[in-house]
Amino acid sequence: MSEKPTTHFGFQTVDENEKARKVGAVFHSVAQRYDLMNDVMSAGLHRLWKRFALEISGVRAGDRVLDVAGGSGDMSRLFANKVGSSGQVILTDINASMLSVGRDRLIDDGAAVPALQCDAEKLPFPDNHFDCVCVAFGLRNMTHKEAALAEMQRVLKIGGRLLVLEFSQVWKPLAPLYDAYSFKLLPLMGKLLAKDADSYQYLAESIRMHPDQETLRKMMLDAGLSKVDYYNLAAGVVALHKGWKT
Amino acid sequence: MFKQISTRILNHLIRQNAWARALLLPYAGKTVRFNIVPLTATLIVLEDGGLAMAGEATEPDAIVTLPPTIALRLLAGDEAANTLITLEGDSELASAISKVLRNMSWEYEEDLSRVIGDIPAHQLAEFGRRVTTESKRQAISLAGMFAEYWQEEQPLIAKKRHVQQFVKDVDTLREDVERLAKYTEKLQAKIQQKAER
Repeated sequence: MSEKPTTHFGFQTVDENEKARKVGAVFHSVAQRYDLMNDVMSAGLHRLWKRFALEISGVRAGDRVLDVAGGSGDMSRLFANKVGSSGQVILTDINASMLSVGRDRLIDDGAAVPALQCDAEKLPFPDNHFDCVCVAFGLRNMTHKEAALAEMQRVLKIGGRLLVLEFSQVWKPLAPLYDAYSFKLLPLMGKLLAKDADSYQYLAESIRMHPDQETLRKMMLDAGLSKVDYYNLAAGVVALHKGWKT
Repeated sequence: MFKQISTRILNHLIRQNAWARALLLPYAGKTVRFNIVPLTATLIVLEDGGLAMAGEATEPDAIVTLPPTIALRLLAGDEAANTLITLEGDSELASAISKVLRNMSWEYEEDLSRVIGDIPAHQLAEFGRRVTTESKRQAISLAGMFAEYWQEEQPLIAKKRHVQQFVKDVDTLREDVERLAKYTEKLQAKIQQKAER
């Protein structure tokens, strides 16, 4: 009998088809307090990182942008302001709870952004459709990262850009301090603010299991992008990768 | 953090200088490295015609190298120093970015008006301009005073007309020496001819 394929869920090894369910449960649990926790955990820096991703995207009025795993809609809102009424932004997420938080917030802000529940590994869009595809803090939760990257590359137009904003490998001398923060303080904050220590334990573990800057760059090249560059933000706590399809 | 802030500033300046965007757009995605010893900065042209600091894995399409002395001369407004800049790779791209960086101006009055309002911003900017003009005038006057002192009282710097006279004398001397050399050659040839007879 053949063994079932496995993947990681934080530091645990789980069946591939179980990961999506487990990640889904984590985000159902944290959805309502997701932004508050992001602000507390990053001291508000996640907003600067997202603004930087927007600047680097080179998106302009009239462009078509896809926000993958866009959850709370932060990136979609920024992109919507940039592309204007002649452009289009589509917000997607596999998780209904996160998507509804993002969709409601965008509606409250008066932004007409379609919200679509779909799997990043099987994007329901034609080839060569978007000027920019962005995935911010979502890639590490995907079961088959290579498949998701290939899909995002597929839907990009020639000359389009894929932006991946994600936790990464911190500068070595800061690693002990960062470890202490991630494994001691983060679950504690999760427990106090979101009443959910386990989800934030998963967050810390999933960050450690995510590919480092160079590995992710290679994965993006393997997915078919012709050039990939990256920026280390906050000494590598987060990295912004930008890949071009030519 | 440096790259984030620099990118923000660059794009802010590009927004204020709309002509720059049109100039940069054809080079979207290309990078230029500026080596101003001991500093290095790599810039990338964005798809919206903006400029950003390039990332960690960039291979530059063009390299502009400025020795520190040239950088100082350029800052002082010496146009002749432009000819000493070294360009490698895509020279059109390097020229376009260099042109943008040289000619971009900061509309500080506009930025200030968003914080304190139009009239106070105009008055403050006017005051700033007067201070700058007066400081420049004072600096030139002070430099002139020192130059005069070192030329007349404690001669450390040569006067322009003295340098020109010296250069002229050197030219005359060089021409005289060349004439003498030719004359000597001629004499030697004549002596040799007589000796052969």
